[in-house]
Amino acid sequence: MPLITPETVKRALKDLYDYDLDDSSALRVANTAGAMLTLAEQLSTLGLDGIEPPFGYANLMTEAMRKAAKK
Amino acid sequence: MAHGYEELLSFDVAALGEKLKAKEISPVELTEAYLDRIQRIDGKIRAYITVTADLARKSARKAEHEIVAGKWRGPFHGIPIGLKDLCYTKGIATTGGSKILGAFKPAHDSTVWTRLSRAGAILLGKLNLHEFAYGITSSNPHWGFVRNPYNLERIPGGSSGGSAAAIVARSAAATIGTDTGGSIRIPAALCGCVGMKPTWSRVSRYGVLPLAYTMDHVGPITRRVRDAALMLNVIAGHDRNDSTSSRERVSDYTEKLDTPIAGMKIGIVRELTDNLSPDVQRSFENAAAELRALGATVDEVTIPSLPMSGVINGIVTWAEATEIHRQWMATQPQDYGDDVRRLLEVGMMIPGGAYVRAQRARARVLAEAMDAIADRDALIAPGAGVTAPRIGESRRFDSEGGGIDVVAGILRFTQPFDVTGQPAIAIPTGLSSDGLPLSMQIIGRPFAEATVLQVASAYEKARGALPAPPPLQEA
Repeated sequence: MPLITPETVKRALKDLYDYDLDDSSALRVANTAGAMLTLAEQLSTLGLDGIEPPFGYANLMTEAMRKAAKK
Repeated sequence: MAHGYEELLSFDVAALGEKLKAKEISPVELTEAYLDRIQRIDGKIRAYITVTADLARKSARKAEHEIVAGKWRGPFHGIPIGLKDLCYTKGIATTGGSKILGAFKPAHDSTVWTRLSRAGAILLGKLNLHEFAYGITSSNPHWGFVRNPYNLERIPGGSSGGSAAAIVARSAAATIGTDTGGSIRIPAALCGCVGMKPTWSRVSRYGVLPLAYTMDHVGPITRRVRDAALMLNVIAGHDRNDSTSSRERVSDYTEKLDTPIAGMKIGIVRELTDNLSPDVQRSFENAAAELRALGATVDEVTIPSLPMSGVINGIVTWAEATEIHRQWMATQPQDYGDDVRRLLEVGMMIPGGAYVRAQRARARVLAEAMDAIADRDALIAPGAGVTAPRIGESRRFDSEGGGIDVVAGILRFTQPFDVTGQPAIAIPTGLSSDGLPLSMQIIGRPFAEATVLQVASAYEKARGALPAPPPLQEA
């Protein structure tokens, strides 16, 4: 299980988001995020070789054209 | 025009549409019946955040003029509906169930409301939900706890809790919900009504406050399967304002509702048949037997990666929701309810690599689900593993002293089909020994909503009417 301590959480949220957490909240976030990241590692066992993330260029183009059309 | 209010409230959308078209009932009296019902009972249910009575009356008068003049627009002309309060309505408060957006009035409509409005639907109001749709209890700290009409001490499920509670309490004829981890199907399952999550991209998300861009679905919550099909006919289809909305052809979703299912092949999802409460297990087995009695072949299928769906759904939702809420979390975190703020804090710790891996894993689960359904017409699974929990209940214990986390025990049945984006409907299968609704999901191939609705309709007819909830004491 990834070692995420409450101190790590407090520092990460402060440094990355300028967000303050108290000790009990940091402990809770550390436990939940640690468990989730352990499970996220297990996703690799599903056989993801050759699977690309489902982000399509067609949608990117459409979204860009939609924003451009609004100007 | 001699119908009493109670009789008017008893008709489903399909029946109302016929009666409105035939001028047997008036949109004005129908709308008044619903507004009266909301006034009498919503203090108990808390399904509504905003009631748009003046707008509803004005729209009803307009609908009446049009219908009398022979300009009937279709089955939703004159039908009083409610929208989950994530859906933008121009100039009308759209809170997302939050304090943060408590005074927000959008400058444009959501596409789903644009289409329903053009079809002649009448907006009764905006429906309560779990704050920002991020949870399944609908115990909203800002706008009141939504109550389950079958038992006011129980949650209605969520996040579209108000949308389902209003249907069952008869304070709307049809409603719109959204589903990211189960938020259409869970409240439909726990409240005892029909909740249809279409294929991802089938219904435009434009103007719907997002929870997770790549998981959010918009769909109908209704009393009957036919009503869901009629509503989907109105709201489905490509929208140039939503670049992800599909250009896949839109069927007439009512077309196969009366077609028998004899000869169809239906698979029970093996990974979703354990850890069921005895009532859920009995009811689900009876529902499968009913499908067999209708002539379908029902066997078991497996989707081996399905148990990882909760992780995939969780990581994607955590990451995307945290980005969506980044600015508010920076400036006013104290304005979130505790549970939602905690989820967003966890989301800040999800690394980009985990998010991309979770997105890639979706294809694995979908590939296996497509294998499972390749030789079949539909899959089935329970709608939830337990009946509606008590408000505040977090664990449920069985007679052997074992216990389950009720939130996880509910979400694990619905999250897989948000991950795969397949169409899935929740339909009631009966009541538990303590009088709470039980439900089954019917899942289809992507864009095969018509088949899902066909199976649901056949089952619904065979099942017969559900016992109504106990009468609500007036507020």
